[in-house]
Amino acid sequence: MSIGGSDLDRAITQLRACRPIPENQVRELCYKARELLIEEGNVVGVDAPVTICGDIHGQFHDLMELFRVGGDVPDTNYLFMGDFVDRGFYSLESFLLLLCLKVRYPDRITLIRGNHESRQITTVYGFYDECLRKYGSANVWRYCCEVFDYLALGALVTGAATSLTPTDGPIAENINIDIPDVDCDIEIETLNAQGEIMYRYARNSDSQSSAASQANSNPASSSPIAPPTPSLAGVTGTGATSSANGSTRNDTGAILCVHGGLSPLIDTIDKIRLLDRKQEVPHEGAMCDLLWSDPDEIDGWGLSPRGAGFLFGADIVKCFNHKNDLSLIARAHQLVMEGFKEMFESTIVTVWSAPNYCYRCGNVAAILELGEDGSNGGFVRRSNGDRGGGGGGWVLGSNAGPNGTGENRRLSSVLGDSMQRTRDGPGRRYRVFEAAPQDSRGMPAKKPVADYFL
Amino acid sequence: MALSFQEPEGCASIWDFVNEVQSRLQALAQDDGLSDDIGDNISPIMLPNPDLGNLHEIENHMRAANSTPGGREALAKFVLSQDYIPKLIPLVEMAEDLESVSDLHRLCSIMKMLILLNDTSIIEYVVTDDVILGVVGALEYDPDFPLHKANHRQYLADESRFKEVVKIEDLGIKKKIHYTYRLQYLKDVVLARILDDPTFSVLNSLIFFHQVDIVQHLQANGPYLKELFGIFGPAEQDLQRKKDAVLFIQQCCSIAKSLQINARAQLYQNFINNGLLDVIQYALKHQDASVRVAGTDILVSLIDHDSLMVRSYIFKAIQEKSKPLTDTLIELLLIEVDLGVKAQMADAIKILLDPNANSASLEALGRSNSDFLAKTRGQLPPMPQPDSFIQNFYDDSVRKLFQPLKDLEKRESMEDLSIQEVALYAHLVEVLCFFIRQHSFRSKCFILSEGLAARVAQLMDCPEKHLKLTALKYFRTCIGLHDETHNRQIIQHQLFDPILKILFDTMPRDNLLNSACLELFEFIKRENIKMLVQHLVETYREKLQSITYVDTFQNLILRYDQMLEPPTTQELDHSFTSVDTDASARNAAMVNGGKWGQGLREADPDEEAYFNGSDEEDDGLPSAAKPVLNGASPVKPLVNYPDDDGDEDAMDILATSAPSASPHTMSTATQTHKSPATIASPKPNAGSPPERISEKRRREEDEEDELLASLSSSGTKRRASLSSNSSVGSLKSLRRKSPNISSTKDSGGAPKKISLSIPLKSTGEGGEGE
Repeated sequence: MSIGGSDLDRAITQLRACRPIPENQVRELCYKARELLIEEGNVVGVDAPVTICGDIHGQFHDLMELFRVGGDVPDTNYLFMGDFVDRGFYSLESFLLLLCLKVRYPDRITLIRGNHESRQITTVYGFYDECLRKYGSANVWRYCCEVFDYLALGALVTGAATSLTPTDGPIAENINIDIPDVDCDIEIETLNAQGEIMYRYARNSDSQSSAASQANSNPASSSPIAPPTPSLAGVTGTGATSSANGSTRNDTGAILCVHGGLSPLIDTIDKIRLLDRKQEVPHEGAMCDLLWSDPDEIDGWGLSPRGAGFLFGADIVKCFNHKNDLSLIARAHQLVMEGFKEMFESTIVTVWSAPNYCYRCGNVAAILELGEDGSNGGFVRRSNGDRGGGGGGWVLGSNAGPNGTGENRRLSSVLGDSMQRTRDGPGRRYRVFEAAPQDSRGMPAKKPVADYFL
Repeated sequence: MALSFQEPEGCASIWDFVNEVQSRLQALAQDDGLSDDIGDNISPIMLPNPDLGNLHEIENHMRAANSTPGGREALAKFVLSQDYIPKLIPLVEMAEDLESVSDLHRLCSIMKMLILLNDTSIIEYVVTDDVILGVVGALEYDPDFPLHKANHRQYLADESRFKEVVKIEDLGIKKKIHYTYRLQYLKDVVLARILDDPTFSVLNSLIFFHQVDIVQHLQANGPYLKELFGIFGPAEQDLQRKKDAVLFIQQCCSIAKSLQINARAQLYQNFINNGLLDVIQYALKHQDASVRVAGTDILVSLIDHDSLMVRSYIFKAIQEKSKPLTDTLIELLLIEVDLGVKAQMADAIKILLDPNANSASLEALGRSNSDFLAKTRGQLPPMPQPDSFIQNFYDDSVRKLFQPLKDLEKRESMEDLSIQEVALYAHLVEVLCFFIRQHSFRSKCFILSEGLAARVAQLMDCPEKHLKLTALKYFRTCIGLHDETHNRQIIQHQLFDPILKILFDTMPRDNLLNSACLELFEFIKRENIKMLVQHLVETYREKLQSITYVDTFQNLILRYDQMLEPPTTQELDHSFTSVDTDASARNAAMVNGGKWGQGLREADPDEEAYFNGSDEEDDGLPSAAKPVLNGASPVKPLVNYPDDDGDEDAMDILATSAPSASPHTMSTATQTHKSPATIASPKPNAGSPPERISEKRRREEDEEDELLASLSSSGTKRRASLSSNSSVGSLKSLRRKSPNISSTKDSGGAPKKISLSIPLKSTGEGGEGE
């Protein structure tokens, strides 16, 4: 294996210019990557700080834009949640660049598998065709597919901070909402591609609250005794949660990152570790579900219209998060026009990183930054037993999602008081960006067939 | 009302349209022309003769017309009848001369709109020789990319891209070839970004029909084929021409894949009669890897089309004592240096020996046109049954194929394998896996007689982890077959030694090899393959006991102990487990007769828990063993589990469902010396020692598996039956399925259980719960 060191850097330079590397280099790169990936667990452990990215889909120039907005690779840690290939016209360059970076900086970048990282899907949606055109044979496609089989199925981010260190970025123009004080614990912040603040949401702040969440939050209460919570009167066990009040907990639960979502066959993360992932994505079963499922406004599980995986509702997510001590599930797999979408009281978020998907959907893209715990050193969470996953019913960019409190109450009665102790979500900074400016990219097009006989 | 648009243009044009209508209505429609069109969509459209001055007006008119189906139709009709496109084309150069970017952008928009009218005649027209360069010329100035100019004209004007290996006399066909190429270029490059689905499919179907015409013409053209295949004769000296001819044939074959089966059969027959098989042999041995790739491509598409036919030719070659294709493939696989080609050779061997290959398409052919089949195959040598073909392979070639694997026996160290060797062994083991799945009987005899299992096991000693994994997967495949011969072989040669070595080498690290090992043992446990369970526990009991980071191995040991339980339980087992596994369990019990009493004593307390545990209400009441329950409980879960936990369990391998999910957390809790029961459970049994509970719960899990095994005889079947239930997606199954699943979840999330489980990572903050 001769690729390494300067060769690798040269390959990275070439790929950054969107020029494919020769077939023999691809082969060596893939073998190198295989050696690395085989050492990773089915669920890779990742430490915060890390920037989580969703689907790329061969939109090479937008991937470059992503790196511009989020920071370049050895400086920023990245976690890509799959679907690197297909649809866009530069799947090959995009995937190989990510793979090169993985081999060059193994601890700085994590790649997990998406449903498009599969032989069957890539033969239909473009990657196979692209390799054939760019190399004249399917060999490169074969090498890449071999690597796909070794990609991890998920990642578990630990050590994320509960609140963000405020950015000193200016506030974007035309934003006419209250930006909470920097002194507050910032739970969510949305920045545009220029790093200007578009949105900021403080934990326990009332600035975004509806009447419902006000009743629910009791923000200032640091009293060790649980306040009477009339809104949750239906829950008999509420009193038990008071025991949690006053405890000092300054960490957040882990964040599970997976391409699609949950599986009815997987109730604990440890079960994912018992899969033999080195295979083509199957048509059913746990591995398939992790890559194919979608959250939906339903109760329990439902059949997926995609024909693979399942739909799962808020109750499933909350139960899973509780059981596995998670504060959040980050996933990709679905186009969201706003780039990201939190659902189910911020227990799950969809991150989408392909702006103007398929060169025509008109959506923006987003990446999710999680800060490192300790950056807010000594911060003590004011624990508040009856707050769910932190959002207080705040559903971002969503036209779905019922009122948080109602949802909360219903679930509480179903799930009992233990659900009240759901972890607070990590501080989340979303950077939203648009498709790369045209002068940086030229007209996107497939590579034409070079020679023809027929 | 809400409208959504795929493209900004669409939105803009509607907006323009609405604005226009409004302004016109307000102005009380004194204008001519367009106001009529709005009133009546079907009425013909008139556009002014284009010049650089009125492009803006034309564009607006077209946008307006484009927004209604009637308008689009009228527009298409007008454009064709008035030869409008040729009138537009000269404007491109004029605008270029004037460097009028805005006019060029308008021309581009107009041209795009015309093509996206999605009218077949227009699309066919724009790729004709006269206008194509003008059309793509206009399309070079995309207003979406104001700073860029494409070079479509330059690309398409380059005649050298067309390679004519043998001169095509028919001008019509030659034209069609160029048209097809241009259509492809439009699809892939010019319009790639803006294509909507209807236009995309129109382009695709045009391309397809052209290709069918071309290929049909060529394959029926005797002199042409003669000249084409003559290139491979001794007279031809030009090596480049030979190479091109191979690539040409490859392209024909890849187009043929989309032909109807009759046409395809005709094509291959004509090709073969002219010497296609020799061409394949030639290509496979070519020094240029790209030609070898093309050769394998041709071969694979030929096998895909009709493997019986290919086999019959190989058969014939064997009878004539000439070298059959299979042997060529094997030789190439063994010596090939290009790793991509090597992989393709391995694939080709697999397809060739797949007894189920293309039987479906042949059936269709046979049904629809048996005469035809008889005719095209009339000249063939007698058809061997796939079976005799495979037999033949096993008589002879298979030894050549796996010789390198066999030679491993003499190899002392696995340390210094070359890249080629590693790749070769990986392919061979994969092919072997394929063989044991597809030709169970013959491959079994072969592997047995050659002792290949031990050789594969040897590969687990190599430093290359992916090769270890491949070898490991071979054993996983064997075990997955539930085949006694394979299992016995594994036992006899102590082949769990290297597997356990991998496990111990990798544990408790969380990596792919480790997960694959765990999955293998998890499978043995889940399927309760008694022969292996017995072997494992009897041979490696202490080793297994030492593995505590997952509970798989403790469960395996429990399984074993359970096998040695007294006859009463065996009886119960018997009524619910499939006969064969139970029989082997009995055998196991008999063999170990000496341990009977011991097993009985040991199993006793477990057994109580075993029965009690099935009832959730009795959670943690191990002492309350009621004799009545003993008889009743096996029935009860049968009723409960399918809609409760059992369903989930049945679905998969790993899911052990809600109650069994807790053992893990429970045992963690035990390790941290917290008694979960005392904290959270309000029940009278709160004081019972946690060890007992976790043990009991494990038994519970086992029992579920057992009961499920009784519901369906094998694991594979279980999963298969699920697939029909879940992902295929009939509404009926949804209705049946989803309530079950959600009820599982509900029960999983029931307060009682949640309160029992302590989060896995709770060590640091155990006080929280207090």
